[in-house]
Amino acid sequence: MRRFGRRDFVKTVGATAAAAGLVAAPAVRRADAQAKTIVFGGSVPLSGRAAETGLNVNNGYLMAIKYLNEEMGGVEIGGEKYKLELKMFDDASDPARATTLIQRQIDEGVDFFLGSFGSNIVLPTAAITERAKRPMVQSGGGSDQIFTQGFKYVFGMFPRASRQFISSVEFFKAMSPRPKSISVIFTNDAFSKTNAEGAAKDSKAAGFDVLEMYGLPEQITDVSSVLASVRSKTPDVLICTTHDQNSLLISRQMVATNTNVPLLYQTLGPQLATYRETLGKFATGICVQIYWDERAPYKDKFFGTAQKFAEYYRKHVQRPIAYHTAGGAACIVTYVQAMQAAKSIKTEPVRDALAATDVDTLYGRVKFTPEGDGDAILLGPAVGQVQKGVVQLVHPAAAKTGTLIYPTPKWSEKT
Amino acid sequence: MSLILQTILDGLVLGGLYSLAAVGFSLIFGVMNVVNLTHGVIVLIGAYLAYAFWHGLGVDPLLAIPLVMAALFAFGYVYQRGLIQLAVDRSSLLASMLVTFGVALMLRNVLVLVFSPDFKSVTPSYAFTVFFLGPVTIDLVRLSALGASLVLLCVLAGVLRWTAVGRVIRATAQQDLAARLCGVDVRHVYGITFGVSAAFAGASGAIIGIVVPFSPPDEALWTINAFVVVTLGGVGSPSGALLGGLLLGLISTLTSQLIGPQFPNAMMFLILVVMLLLRPSGLLGNAFSGSR
Repeated sequence: MRRFGRRDFVKTVGATAAAAGLVAAPAVRRADAQAKTIVFGGSVPLSGRAAETGLNVNNGYLMAIKYLNEEMGGVEIGGEKYKLELKMFDDASDPARATTLIQRQIDEGVDFFLGSFGSNIVLPTAAITERAKRPMVQSGGGSDQIFTQGFKYVFGMFPRASRQFISSVEFFKAMSPRPKSISVIFTNDAFSKTNAEGAAKDSKAAGFDVLEMYGLPEQITDVSSVLASVRSKTPDVLICTTHDQNSLLISRQMVATNTNVPLLYQTLGPQLATYRETLGKFATGICVQIYWDERAPYKDKFFGTAQKFAEYYRKHVQRPIAYHTAGGAACIVTYVQAMQAAKSIKTEPVRDALAATDVDTLYGRVKFTPEGDGDAILLGPAVGQVQKGVVQLVHPAAAKTGTLIYPTPKWSEKT
Repeated sequence: MSLILQTILDGLVLGGLYSLAAVGFSLIFGVMNVVNLTHGVIVLIGAYLAYAFWHGLGVDPLLAIPLVMAALFAFGYVYQRGLIQLAVDRSSLLASMLVTFGVALMLRNVLVLVFSPDFKSVTPSYAFTVFFLGPVTIDLVRLSALGASLVLLCVLAGVLRWTAVGRVIRATAQQDLAARLCGVDVRHVYGITFGVSAAFAGASGAIIGIVVPFSPPDEALWTINAFVVVTLGGVGSPSGALLGGLLLGLISTLTSQLIGPQFPNAMMFLILVVMLLLRPSGLLGNAFSGSR
């Protein structure tokens, strides 16, 4: 009898494996055919200037998809179960790269898009998805230009920039003693400039005296001359409609040049832990626009509450949670609820359902204007103030977690 | 009047930072005729190293400057001998520009990987100290940054003028062939020059880190600033960088105060174009290879 050698062993194992593969292959294909998947495409800045907030937005997308797939076993739409898939690419904060990535995904047949971060990226990418008649739900672009060009397929979680100050001006009106004068610092980019113009317009309409509008280049390394002017003509409220890094530069330099104002109000910056840690005790009293807070009593069909979303997030991600994270997750939740309402995953019915959306989510009640931006009252910002290193909500009254400190102590008197 | 005084002082302080950040760029351009597009990212590496020393070990960023300079000198030397020189030997000076551009992109992403894309800021205990000189407000951090810049620029000027290494660098800058004929190991000198440049870029980064928040994408800004400073002041000498930097700082703050805070960049580039047309070798332009 011939000995069963090593060569025979290899042959036998090989043949068996091949046969098993032939038998198993159709089963795998069947399994593939059964798995229905909805793909969400888009780009997001994971590197470059906008990466800090881009990461926060992306984490929101990731967590919502993970939760719906793993904890809920997928979502049911029109009687069928679907898994969700995320295909986001790093656009490096570069609008040109983002448009290329989006066009490629459209060519590959992606039907539903999520937004990048930054109006300068969202605007050109939204123009592409609009042309292709694919919906985009985004929480990264608030510039008016996104919502005033007649786009029908673009929906934003934020009110357009010129309307983002409506609730803040209400806050100024409610302050005691009521401030009289306001100055605004902005940088020369779509979001900051439009936001500043909205702030000035709404403040004037409410009877405040707008002393100065200081425009700065998009990237700044020094604001000493502006601060010298602020010192000589001091407003009761200094508004900075600047992005995070620029906001920190301004406030740092205000401390270092002893430029005091009764209230410093920044649209972005103090919501970040890095900002507050850098300024330490000097951060106390600085106000910031807050679009979401986990302590808010928001109900959500999938997560339960905003708090539960935050707990789930913290269980899986070490990075501190930010309101942009919740905004990202809300994009997915809103999409899914629109699909469920439409009982379809075809682009046209889903677009129509998005336009008619009025649902409670972890991010608050989501409702879009006819132009696609978030409802200015429902999705407008609350006002937070840094107190002992933590942001407390000080407006509106219904969401208050702290009492406003005003006028804030001078820098040299802060403890 | 006090506003103008304040503006001039702010401009000089800002200019001191620009000068120090540009001197390395100027030296490499002057001696090797290489436009080092990695310059801005080396400045940022200096800032991140100072941040790491301060955040991790509690070392004051100004005291960490020698450590940062030593680390970046080594990096610069190896980088020049291992990559830039190869590009120059095998292709052309233009190739070295492309190489430095590519390396800058890679290093920027390495910084993102290591330190995250979040902006960082170094805030030692004296970061928010302020004092007054009559009607003028002086920010101690910026003033110490100006002081450190002047000291470092004087040290570099002294090294170039009075030491053997400095003489060899200047000789190579004036005519590398003659230097070779005199027995100078020109490649080694190029390596040292690059190392010195990287060390000074790193030192400026450590100082910049305590003055402004920084993140990896800022590297392009510091390269452009260095380019403008060199064009204004002249190539290859600390005095040119100092003059160019101080002028740029003054132009920046005076434009912001007198014309409008939106216009410093526009004015900066207008002056850049005018200088290139009227005096391409800069105000203190000399006969170094980069300015010819």
